[in-house]
Amino acid sequence: MKRTTKPSDARSDSAFLSRLVDSAGFNSVAASGISIVLGLIFGFIVILFIDATSAANGMGDLLTYGFSSLKQVAKVLYKTAPLLMTGLAVGFAFRAGLFNIGATGQYTVGAFFALYVAILWHFPWWAATLVAMVAGTLWGSIPGLFKAYFNVNEVITSIMFNWIALFLCNLIFLNNQAMWTNSSDSSRSIGLAFVNPSALLPTLGLDVALDSPYANIGIFIAILVAVVVFIVLEKTTFGYEVKACGLNKNAGVYAGIKAKRNIVLSMMIAGGLAGIGGALSHLAGTVNYTISANTLLPMGFNGIPVALLAFSHPLGIIASALLIGFLQVGGEAMQPEFSSEMVNIILSVIIYFSAFSLIMRNLVKRMTPKSRKKAAAGPSDPASKGVDA
Amino acid sequence: MDFLALILSSTIAYGVSLLLVGLGGMFSERSGIINIALEGIMVFGGMFGSIFLSLVAEAAWVLEHPQWTVLIATVIAGLSGGLLSILLGYAAIKLNADQTISGTALNIFAPAFAVALVWAIQGQGLTDIKLPAFIAITAETFGIDSTTLPTWLDTLLFKKMYLTIPIAFILLVISYIVLYKTRFGLRLRACGEHPQAADSVGVNVHRMRYSGVIISGVLAGIGGMAFIMSSSQSTFTASVAGYGFLALAVMIFGNWKPLSIMGAAFFFAFFKTISALAIDDRLSFLPTFGLASPEYLYNILPYLITMLVLAFTSKKSRAPKAEGIPYDVGKR
Repeated sequence: MKRTTKPSDARSDSAFLSRLVDSAGFNSVAASGISIVLGLIFGFIVILFIDATSAANGMGDLLTYGFSSLKQVAKVLYKTAPLLMTGLAVGFAFRAGLFNIGATGQYTVGAFFALYVAILWHFPWWAATLVAMVAGTLWGSIPGLFKAYFNVNEVITSIMFNWIALFLCNLIFLNNQAMWTNSSDSSRSIGLAFVNPSALLPTLGLDVALDSPYANIGIFIAILVAVVVFIVLEKTTFGYEVKACGLNKNAGVYAGIKAKRNIVLSMMIAGGLAGIGGALSHLAGTVNYTISANTLLPMGFNGIPVALLAFSHPLGIIASALLIGFLQVGGEAMQPEFSSEMVNIILSVIIYFSAFSLIMRNLVKRMTPKSRKKAAAGPSDPASKGVDA
Repeated sequence: MDFLALILSSTIAYGVSLLLVGLGGMFSERSGIINIALEGIMVFGGMFGSIFLSLVAEAAWVLEHPQWTVLIATVIAGLSGGLLSILLGYAAIKLNADQTISGTALNIFAPAFAVALVWAIQGQGLTDIKLPAFIAITAETFGIDSTTLPTWLDTLLFKKMYLTIPIAFILLVISYIVLYKTRFGLRLRACGEHPQAADSVGVNVHRMRYSGVIISGVLAGIGGMAFIMSSSQSTFTASVAGYGFLALAVMIFGNWKPLSIMGAAFFFAFFKTISALAIDDRLSFLPTFGLASPEYLYNILPYLITMLVLAFTSKKSRAPKAEGIPYDVGKR
């Protein structure tokens, strides 16, 4: 990815093109593209089986609804922001060689404590978001510490602490009546607009421009964070160490990298990212904290496909989060003929095929040598230009 | 006495699905494949078992032979679980794909597919399947009048008894024997530790790994059925409430060994039972610490205690050495 966006040292257009087609970044994008197309085709086949007469309409809704009006665009962006953050939380940990299945717990504590300080202590939105980040960071540090100092697999700790997060937040919620006072029932948090409008994410007039209560600056914050994560991973010593340990921990240790410290720090960063995601979704004023005795919030788990689809590349995660947010909004339009779960079926097929990244990349390579040769001969071939676009 | 019987029977009811699925995970990981898809496979297997039960619930033969029907449903659940796991195996073994990714794909696929399919079968919005009442084993199943039994015995044996419970224990014994006392088990374990070495003495690594994954799918499918019967009020809801992931944790807790996995499953289930009973207010002697809704405090208990135990015991815990690594013949 990095190489494709820096054409400065390319001798000519054609050399740049051939390098582009050769580069790992291009191959990854193309491989993801193929996976996405295959997933959509498979999804279409499934809904054909369920209800052939409305299949075309359903698929059309899925693929166009997110664009159908400014209102829907705003909703796509609103859904994308937390997806992007949990995607980064999972992706960053992946780069460090850790499987952060605990993003949902980190997201939950982030969302809950953002609301807690916003409602009880009247924190403004930015302070509440920082609190969410700190809460997520602390929650993420637990699997890191257990892994580094007790040799407990991070997967098991993350799973356990997902549930502990849920129960703990429920417990604190139910013991602070202010969280729901004046609201009709005690299982939902009170609307932020009533108690503390300053905690709502600023809209900068977007809510009027896009005619949607979902419009706010959350998506810009998320993209900004993704860029920061990209810089940390690609341009700093710490990022290099994280990736080195992720690729081969023993080699990293041999090279003098403090692996234990890196594990804990990586998990803390991952947790902080997911925590911000919780704030971005819950400080929009469109969703409440709801008591649920036995269901984890799905947002954290949705971060896993977001990260996988982008091969854990922070900038790629922006694109994959947008895609999944777009499909989720489109999925709502498929009801009632089809359940909105259709989106997840399509998503699962996309992920399944993206697991074959190696094969897909080779496939892409095999498909492109012709255009590469032509590109090297001269930039006159329109097909090779199409690749660039 | 009645109370102890209740705790014991509930612990067993909670624990069997964890035991079955944990054993499933063990077979897969011992062969070298990380099976993160256990959650999805449970849903998938449980779904087909439940659909079968709800379709045949009215048939005359079924009403005469309820437990045989449950057995058939369990087999169907196991087979469909095994079928889904082939997808994981194909990606992980044949295509050398990243096992976490393909497993995650199945975890997303199965519940979504279950909702879509059950929705298509039962009509819009109806995504739950209530299992028929005859699946429960009671004293009457054996022609005994339950009123003649002492309450504690009735509670212990027949309060939460389903066919999947004895099946789970039989499968535990079989798993132990297969893993440690047969040639197949030795080869399977070798493929999870050092597949190149196994290959060099003529073991077909791919076949062993497929076997491990498919066995894990079958056990997870049966575990899904067990979960729906005893931990989900006999209702299929297209979700197994994270039990597949918990089973993964139980497997790691149990150090990838059958008997330890059993211990871990029932250890967890015991504290889960305590917290469940605390929610029901049947343990009113437990302190509330002046909290509203103290049940959530007790909900945390099984998870927290498991973590504490793990912190002290897992220094020597060791995963199969080659798990998660695609087999590469050229790498010695």
